[in-house]
Amino acid sequence: MESVTTFVDAAAPTAAAALGDESKRGLLRTAWDFSFRLVLRYIKNSYKDDPFRTFLEACLIGFIVWYMAKPKYNIGNNEVELTEKEIDELVDEWRPEPLVPALTEFEREVLDKAVMIDGPNGTRVRLASGAGGGKPVLNFGSYNFLGFVDSEEMAGRAIETLRKYGVGSCGPPGFYGTLDVHMKLEKQLAAFVGHSAAILYSQAFATTLSVIPCFSKRSDIIVADEGVSFMVQRAIFLARSKVYWYKHNDMADLERILGDVNKQLARRGKGALPRKFIVTEGLFQNTGDIAPLDELVALKHRYKFRIILDESFSFGVLGKRGAGLTDHYSIDPHEVDLLIGALCNAIGASGGFCCADKDLVEHQRLSGAGYCFSASMPGILTVAAADAIQALETNPDEYLSALRENATLLRTLLKRIPNLQVDGAATSPLIHIRLAPEALVRMRRTGGTWTKEDIDRVLIEMTEEAQKDGVLLTRATYVDEHERILPNPSIRICVSAAHTRKEIEKCASAVKSAVSRVTSKKR
Amino acid sequence: MGKGQRAIQAYKATEFIEQPRDSDGLVVGKGDPFKLAPRTSASLLKEQSTVEALKAKARAEAGPKAPAAAEEHHESSELAAVPTFILVTTYLSYLMLIVFAHARDFVGKLMHPEQYVQLRVQNGYAPMVSDFESLWIRRLYGRIRDCFNRPITGVAGGHVTLLERFSTDHNRSFQFTGRLRTVLNLASYNYLGFAQSEGPCADKVEAAIREGGVTQASTRSEVGRTALLAETEDMVARFVGSEAALIVSMGFATNALNIPALVSKGCLIISDELNHSSLVAGARLSGAAIRVFKHNDTRDLEKQLRRSIAQGQPRTHRPWKKILVVVEGLYSMEGEYCNLPKIVELRRRYRFHLFVDEAHSIGALGKRGRGVCDHFGVDPREVDVLMGTFTKSFGAAGGYIAGSRALIDYMRVHSHSAVYAEAMSVPVLAQVSSSMRMIMGEDREHALEGQQRLEQLAINSRYFAQGLRDLGFMTLGEPGSPVIPLLLFNPAKIPAFSRECLKRNIAVVVVSYPATPIITGRVRFCISAAHTREDLDHALQQISEIGDLLMLKFHKGVLLGGPAKAE
Repeated sequence: MESVTTFVDAAAPTAAAALGDESKRGLLRTAWDFSFRLVLRYIKNSYKDDPFRTFLEACLIGFIVWYMAKPKYNIGNNEVELTEKEIDELVDEWRPEPLVPALTEFEREVLDKAVMIDGPNGTRVRLASGAGGGKPVLNFGSYNFLGFVDSEEMAGRAIETLRKYGVGSCGPPGFYGTLDVHMKLEKQLAAFVGHSAAILYSQAFATTLSVIPCFSKRSDIIVADEGVSFMVQRAIFLARSKVYWYKHNDMADLERILGDVNKQLARRGKGALPRKFIVTEGLFQNTGDIAPLDELVALKHRYKFRIILDESFSFGVLGKRGAGLTDHYSIDPHEVDLLIGALCNAIGASGGFCCADKDLVEHQRLSGAGYCFSASMPGILTVAAADAIQALETNPDEYLSALRENATLLRTLLKRIPNLQVDGAATSPLIHIRLAPEALVRMRRTGGTWTKEDIDRVLIEMTEEAQKDGVLLTRATYVDEHERILPNPSIRICVSAAHTRKEIEKCASAVKSAVSRVTSKKR
Repeated sequence: MGKGQRAIQAYKATEFIEQPRDSDGLVVGKGDPFKLAPRTSASLLKEQSTVEALKAKARAEAGPKAPAAAEEHHESSELAAVPTFILVTTYLSYLMLIVFAHARDFVGKLMHPEQYVQLRVQNGYAPMVSDFESLWIRRLYGRIRDCFNRPITGVAGGHVTLLERFSTDHNRSFQFTGRLRTVLNLASYNYLGFAQSEGPCADKVEAAIREGGVTQASTRSEVGRTALLAETEDMVARFVGSEAALIVSMGFATNALNIPALVSKGCLIISDELNHSSLVAGARLSGAAIRVFKHNDTRDLEKQLRRSIAQGQPRTHRPWKKILVVVEGLYSMEGEYCNLPKIVELRRRYRFHLFVDEAHSIGALGKRGRGVCDHFGVDPREVDVLMGTFTKSFGAAGGYIAGSRALIDYMRVHSHSAVYAEAMSVPVLAQVSSSMRMIMGEDREHALEGQQRLEQLAINSRYFAQGLRDLGFMTLGEPGSPVIPLLLFNPAKIPAFSRECLKRNIAVVVVSYPATPIITGRVRFCISAAHTREDLDHALQQISEIGDLLMLKFHKGVLLGGPAKAE
């Protein structure tokens, strides 16, 4: 450090000294004397002419000094002055809540009864715990729509990849975490979806959570479907934009809001134009409905909004090629400005991606929090995703027609079951089933109302009954207190292309007997 | 306790390996304890290296000065004496860059308006990225884009293989030459060297894939909970010394999706100002009020606590429901540890809940690798929420939350990650459990390897940091930290350092504003147990040359650089 200071001292040259300090100082003093005398003379003269004015001016100066010296306060801060002793007392008195509340009896029950799988999580699984512990059951709970999860080839390829890339990437993409296979998969995804470019994230939830706040800022406007999944809700919350919610899949309501927003903006007049987005989901996780993309695109053009589409559940499922909602409606994917997809569901790998214009993808590489600040996806999972998409691309019919047949078959069979309400679009492999409201009314002994917990208990009972018949079902779980509008309790059935016709029938019959068993009991 | 004292304590805490040491506390070459490690044996048998020899000479001249080391280091970590000349030129450089950026934009918009179409309102649509926001990226980051996102292939171990690339359009796009270059990796968070495609861990991963497939396609709370996941969670809990743990499939999401389950409206988060982006995201998602205290300043933290508790919530003056203090164990940009003993002391007095993010410290710090609690000898139960990631020391991915059983049981039902995010994949779980078992010494066939890796990391980190300081560089961070930032200051030196390193076959990470304060642009070295003494000596030699070239040796170096060289 010494060397540094001497260096700096040396840099401050002694030039000033050479300038002749003495003469400079003298000059300054003369100037000061002159101006001081001038001011004094002015005051004297003005006092002689008008003493009241001098008094007024003195008061004014006094007021300014007082005003400037006065302690500043800002609006909204109403802190109380406290002595150290008082603070100590308050600190001693303060009793915070425990970090987390104790689990309710019901939550404890749910936790204890949670399913544990031993071995691969394919269409047939072995349970390590739960009602059917130890025996193999048919899995209708995983989002394994195309049956990639337990494919033998996938495991073989994973081992091959492990021997080349290891497991973790040990760094974010910016710092030597970008693998060649990441870049390959990004290109492959863009080509498969038919968009300009793609970017990979290492978790599906983090994808949505990064993409929406990356573009929609505080001053921007989001118009979103009320039925969107929790991921999208959280992303919208994080964006802090102005949000309007339209009724689930109700295009008339959407149009009304879009019109209102534009009118309001027009009324506001000048100022920067905000970015405006319509946010919705391709295949709704909470209902199994499909968004009407054709109408959305028409509205987008009419009202100058952009579309953010979450295809986490529709990618690999909808469309002739399995490329998602744009494929389903044969709409140019470029009409969707930000297309978010997941690789952890139908594709059977992990993570998610966003397809967009090249500039917008590049922007995310620095501004997408989940991309920039997190380790990249492990090579094994990247290759697994690439292989699955390759398989789907070369042989779409093998996977998709089987999936559609199975989904339609199960839906038809389920619809025949009395006292059961079956939700979702006709071709959706994601089926929510609930007990019909009239059945619930009949099940009540004394006409009391059903709380959510009561219904959940019945649903859990149903899944247990089905497990006894060798079918693994799962209640759709939510973090109740954080959902914007808590969906009606349901059992979510996921059909896979890998299920056989027999297995589908077995599932339907298991549901049927479960329904009849739980509805026959009075509560 | 002041910072200086803490630095000394930290210094003492790492001094656990009974080895012949020189007066600076550094292990002398020949008596190295890693004879057992096959990876490093070659380098150890080697005669004293160049740096070693020079150091011996310098030592002979300097005489004993043992206790000074920690003090001296402490001084530099405070940035006590940023040379005024450097300060001025750095600000001037940024000013010039920004003036030029605006000038280029101005001229560009006049001459080639078609290239700026994206930044204007077109056809009734607002631009997706605002002009002002993107200026930094277009005009400043764009110039040095070649230093980031360098693609690799294979394993990011002690060495890493880069895909060689070049740009013909000022970094707007890159072409690949098709050639591969294997370079020394001082960039990846591979602290314990578990980023491997072979060896006992990889074998375990292979067996696990054969047995359990690859992924789950479901969430933990539905049908994504496997026996392997439950087992690994138990092991993580045992490792960090808590009652239970919850595993999350992504590190970023561990914070972003779990903090909202802990605090909500009416609660207060007091967060260190340098906390990671994921903690900021989690805090914002929680809806709680957020206050920030000065980095690692426990006095400021106490002031904030007293004020917050005494005043209660703004406007209503109701008491806060709870206060969550969020700190990181090891700050990855600074190489500094949080002052855990003091914070735990404050916790007893002020009854807040403590959240420690051990993303970088778990596995890398402490005698047994159990993170910052182990390092300071603090009981892990004094920390309410222990969070960490597997991306770094374990060579895997994802993260965990650990704490009391009541906490984890609650999280299993209420955490956003457990209910909505994909469960962790099989190979990652297997990597976590096999590497963790090795660190704990529970892997019978490789009982000593884990401890060896820990010791190797500790020695490598201190050797390298000391080497840099002796050369006259200005480094940050505390002794024993595997993250060693070296200050570059001037913006022009940032890409220059990275490019020079690449020329000399070394991969480094350079960081500047906005990731760091504007003045302290830096290069960050991450040391690994996979590095051999030869690797580090080679790196020091090369970095010393770069330091001369870029005039980075601000201290009076003990060897090689500075006045010692003039002799």
